[in-house]
Amino acid sequence: MKALVVDDSKTTRMIIGRILRECGFEIHEAGNGQEALDKLEEIGCPEIALVDWNMPEMTGIEFVKAAREDSRYDDMKIMMVTTESEVEQVQAALEAGANEYAMKPFTKDVIEEKLALLGVSVG
Amino acid sequence: MDEILQEFLTESGENLDHVERDLVALEESPDSRQLMAAIFRNIHTIKGSSGFLGLSKLESVAHAGENLLSSLRDGKLALNAEITTVLLTLVDALRRMLQHLEAKGAETDEDFSALVAELKRLNNPDAAPADAAPAEKAPAAEKTEAPAKGETASATEEKGAPAASAPEKKPETSTAKPAAQPEATKSAPARQGRESAPQEPPPPPSLTTETNVRVSVGLLDKLMNLVGELVLARNQILQITGGVDDTQMVAASQRLNHVTTELQEEVMKTRLQPIGNVFTKFPRVVRDVARELGKKVRLELEGKDTELDRTILEAIKDPLTHIVRNAVDHGIELPEVRRESGKNEEGHLLMKAFHEGGQVIIEISDDGKGINAEKVKQKAIDNGLITADQAARMADRDAFQLIFHPGLSTAEKVTNISGRGVGMDVVKTNIEKIGGTVEINSELGKGTTLRIKIPLTLAIIPAIMVESGSQRFAIPQVNLQELVRLDGEEVKTSIETILGTPVYRLRGRLLPLVRLSEVLDLPERDDDQSLNIVVVQAENRHFGLVVDRVFDTQEIVVKPLGDHLKSVAAFAGATIMGDGRVALILDVIGIAEKARISSKIADVAAEDAVETRAAVSGDRRRLLVFGMGDSNRAAIDLSTVGRLEKLPRSMVEHAGNREVVQYRDDVMDLLRLEDVLGYPPTHDDDELLHVVVYTVNGKNLGLVVGRILDIVEEEVRIQGGQRGNGIIGRAVIQGRVTEMLDVDGIVRQFDPEFAGHN
Repeated sequence: MKALVVDDSKTTRMIIGRILRECGFEIHEAGNGQEALDKLEEIGCPEIALVDWNMPEMTGIEFVKAAREDSRYDDMKIMMVTTESEVEQVQAALEAGANEYAMKPFTKDVIEEKLALLGVSVG
Repeated sequence: MDEILQEFLTESGENLDHVERDLVALEESPDSRQLMAAIFRNIHTIKGSSGFLGLSKLESVAHAGENLLSSLRDGKLALNAEITTVLLTLVDALRRMLQHLEAKGAETDEDFSALVAELKRLNNPDAAPADAAPAEKAPAAEKTEAPAKGETASATEEKGAPAASAPEKKPETSTAKPAAQPEATKSAPARQGRESAPQEPPPPPSLTTETNVRVSVGLLDKLMNLVGELVLARNQILQITGGVDDTQMVAASQRLNHVTTELQEEVMKTRLQPIGNVFTKFPRVVRDVARELGKKVRLELEGKDTELDRTILEAIKDPLTHIVRNAVDHGIELPEVRRESGKNEEGHLLMKAFHEGGQVIIEISDDGKGINAEKVKQKAIDNGLITADQAARMADRDAFQLIFHPGLSTAEKVTNISGRGVGMDVVKTNIEKIGGTVEINSELGKGTTLRIKIPLTLAIIPAIMVESGSQRFAIPQVNLQELVRLDGEEVKTSIETILGTPVYRLRGRLLPLVRLSEVLDLPERDDDQSLNIVVVQAENRHFGLVVDRVFDTQEIVVKPLGDHLKSVAAFAGATIMGDGRVALILDVIGIAEKARISSKIADVAAEDAVETRAAVSGDRRRLLVFGMGDSNRAAIDLSTVGRLEKLPRSMVEHAGNREVVQYRDDVMDLLRLEDVLGYPPTHDDDELLHVVVYTVNGKNLGLVVGRILDIVEEEVRIQGGQRGNGIIGRAVIQGRVTEMLDVDGIVRQFDPEFAGHN
């Protein structure tokens, strides 16, 4: 099971990665939307992508739009990782093709719950 | 978690560096959405990560910053100096928190509630109760003082820890910072708003300690005013009791005197702030500029505790910043270059402030490449500021001052760093505006030092009192150079008249004299017995102000002039004297302009420069005209004339193959211009030799001319027809063809030995 963690902060990638690893995922990381697209080319379609909102080069929402245009990644669930300052924009992300969102900071429990909602089985 | 924490510390540190840099960059291009977005993202990241890591304090501080940044990014708020400052303070605070975290493995106990409150307040400007602009401004300024006091308090508690915990704690993280900038930037509006603004600001974020109380700037200003009035009343009492025998009264007034003086000093101190408040800004500036240019610069700050009036502090901030940027940009070399010239790769920039003689001196020295005087001169020549001859005569020290000339500094290569549309001339002007002076000195290859001298305060200044036409005037001490009194015969003998302008020769230099009574149209005193000359300096001009009487120096309280008098350039303000009378404070620069000093005698390089440019364009010029041979006329620029003498031919002696005369306890070589320039000799029965004394660096050379005819001021159009060396061309002066001589050139050519002395 693969998870793609897209965040410009290495710290955040490490933290989210750790949580997801505990859920049994194999973690792949990308520092912005473009890197994430490149990563997808490399690893194929993951079960889930956790995408930060605010990143240089290519933002999270731009990534969502780009990924959703590519049918190869139709099976990939996208979870936007947001903060309370971005909740207003969540709707836009959902419209762009994101499936779920999680607000920073979150715990393993929260993620497991969300993954269950998305129908992603956790090992 | 350790690995993540370590990563977090490193990443956040880098993020803060970026924020800091971007904030500074944003000051220069405030409209860059890209920069703002980057700043937001970095703070956002720190907040997000710290939330994951359970660093709640860090998260809450970063969060407050993030909210403010979000409003800025979305254009709901406009960035201003106050906000920038607070954001920089935020960076400092976050960095401190990280340092503490790194050292202690736990979050700091330091209280950041004031900062958070400030961030919230800025993000929510509408919450302020008053809408009127001035009313809103004043409390804002006062509010920003809150963190100041609080921070001062916390600074002490912080001191111990970072020494161990943060070995590379940089000066810019100084806790004094939050105080200085918001306050400084706000001081002007605060003062304006003083009258109309409510005295009581809205309750500030509370962070008072037992030893510090928040006081509004308006109140301090008012106190200062009242003390000013008290000083005046004291002066009056002293004057009255001066003629009283009642010892009790005298004792009481003495006591009043002392207490008032002390009170004045103490109140003045309330307005004083350490220059460190401004200095703390520079490590960041230096680092940013250095980084941008790929240079290595170590900034050393000395005398951060030196205190200055807040208004002055504010006024010197920009000039200092420009100087610092300039030093890094133009002064300090690239690391490779430094290495090649045997210097440490890392340049050294020292900013030093200290008190000296009731003034504050700020020195900025770098160990960079120094200023090439010849290059400056060449640039000045290219720009038509000075002639090649003047350049040759000009001492290096004078050449450095040319850098402050508007014609030169705007021509300076524009770089991102220092070419911000502000030249060194603006620096100088701004410093002079607050009664300061700036000097530059440099040694090629070794470095450059700028020395700024500024008054402690603008509210009460030392001044010398003078009288002219039965009225009293105050001349600020900063403008005062020296006092000269001529008595009896001296009055007649030592005042020469060149072109209708009286001049006095002060240690070999021509000092144009201006009668104050004449400038101000006051009744002339009818007394030839003595002459009081107040030698003043303003904007590189020295001149003598002739007054009737000179009194003591006094501490005077500067009162602004009424609107109707503000347009009179001769006055800078007014003060009330001990006897209750008003004395006007003279604006020396204004008087110089009014008296057209600059166009009278140019004895300073920069003035020379202006002159020459004027001359080239066919402007008015002052010339000494003399006959050469029986029928030729020649002229030289009066500014090259040191003195005119008629010496008996019998005085001429010979030394070797030279003609010399004993002149002023010295032996002066003579150079006969007729001979060297190939004019026929003058046939004159005159027993006297007409000699133009040419002086360079205190050394005299007598230029023997045919016959001194006149000093004229005329519009001169020099035509070609160069006849030979030393002759610039021909011009029609007083209706007659006159050859224009180039004295400097002649001396260099025909008396290289003399020229070589210099």
